[in-house]
Amino acid sequence: MAEKARDIMEIDFHTVHPETTIAEAVRTFKQASVHRKQRVFGLVVTDERDQLVGMLSLYDIMLLMRPKNIHIWGEMNDIDVTGFIEEACRRARSILVGDVMTADVITISPDTHLLTIVDIMIKKHIRRLPVVERSKVIGMVYTSNIFYELMERLLSGS
Amino acid sequence: MSIVDLRSPLDVLTVREAMQRLRCYLDRNASIQQGIRHTLKYKINSILIFGERNDAIGVVSKTNILGAYYVGLPIATPLNAIMVSPPLTCRLNDSLDSALDMMRNRSVHRLYVFGDEPNKVVGVLTYPDILGMLYRYCHKCERSTLRLAESGSTGKLSDYFRVCELMNPVFQVHREDESLMQVMDSISAHHSGAVLIKSHDDLPQGVVSTTDLIIAYMHGIPSYTAAKTIMSTPVLSCDYDEPLLMVIKKMIFFDLDNLYVYKDRSTNIVGLVTLSDVARVRSGSCRACKTSRIDLDD
Repeated sequence: MAEKARDIMEIDFHTVHPETTIAEAVRTFKQASVHRKQRVFGLVVTDERDQLVGMLSLYDIMLLMRPKNIHIWGEMNDIDVTGFIEEACRRARSILVGDVMTADVITISPDTHLLTIVDIMIKKHIRRLPVVERSKVIGMVYTSNIFYELMERLLSGS
Repeated sequence: MSIVDLRSPLDVLTVREAMQRLRCYLDRNASIQQGIRHTLKYKINSILIFGERNDAIGVVSKTNILGAYYVGLPIATPLNAIMVSPPLTCRLNDSLDSALDMMRNRSVHRLYVFGDEPNKVVGVLTYPDILGMLYRYCHKCERSTLRLAESGSTGKLSDYFRVCELMNPVFQVHREDESLMQVMDSISAHHSGAVLIKSHDDLPQGVVSTTDLIIAYMHGIPSYTAAKTIMSTPVLSCDYDEPLLMVIKKMIFFDLDNLYVYKDRSTNIVGLVTLSDVARVRSGSCRACKTSRIDLDD
């Protein structure tokens, strides 16, 4: 019976480096989604020694592309905004992962209990947690992993 | 509707409706470097600082960070060394009018918002948030200046407002080989967000903003470095006679709070137009309503 992070973590995961451009990172997002047969919204960022230095999520990229004062302009139905999205994409492409990633990453160990993982995910509104052992990322636990494990347990008990 | 029934949106709308949810804050022991990264990532001008009991104890703004750069504080210095304490707050159900009054009285552009739980900050209300909210109401008001301007004609907003009507002819200029410290002096003294950088033959070369300065700080660039080293180029500007809509588009496109104004030729910079002024005019607030007089600097 799965009880700990090591029992449910995915060991096959994609990473990017801080010097990777956003354009390349988005390509990696796409590849990871195809590989996992599920949409991936976050990637681990590692340095040249494969040590965890951050996480890059879709939210980080959306923050980058979001115009700073968009909330002031309201619905903007009196402004012709043709080309804005293309321009935002053009500017975002060459930005580096290291400039937008989240550097303060919450991690778990291979022996972290599933319910502790649930608690962390709920409290911190996190959907993915890197599993770290001796400073290296050895796996990823996604909310879907937790959900499917709990689902199996719920069904097996009924 | 009689005059007595007309209430300004500022009296009717509450902080709850205009504020943004708090999504960015740091612990008091986080470093200035982390603070800079947060302001850049979230595109914000200040960060709320939390203490050991998870209570909001202070605020660090870009101005405070510039102060640290100016005096040469190491980038690893904890934010509690430079924060302003306590943070200025309001409540969810306060009217926007009372929030604006507080901003005016305390010369700030931002208030943090307490939620229903005691002493728990749930959001932030900024002056631009109020402008954006007012746009929605003034735009629909029968007294909107935009509606009056358009009535009986096929004209649009762009036909009635030009940059020259709003621009401020006063702005700060520095030579390209002046130091970042001199630029910071100027920004601090004049409460401006940016300075224009010119060459020795008086041609505009670039702009140095508070954002450029805090990035320089983060990258360890000494404050005696020449302004031209970090300036943003080219100088983004608009024509003196340009319709207001074009200005709005540029400001959104380039994430600008200010835009320089040129006359006759692009090298002849004659003024500056601010986001706040443009948004206020765009909202169409009529002079009969105190909404039109929400300038914080009066």
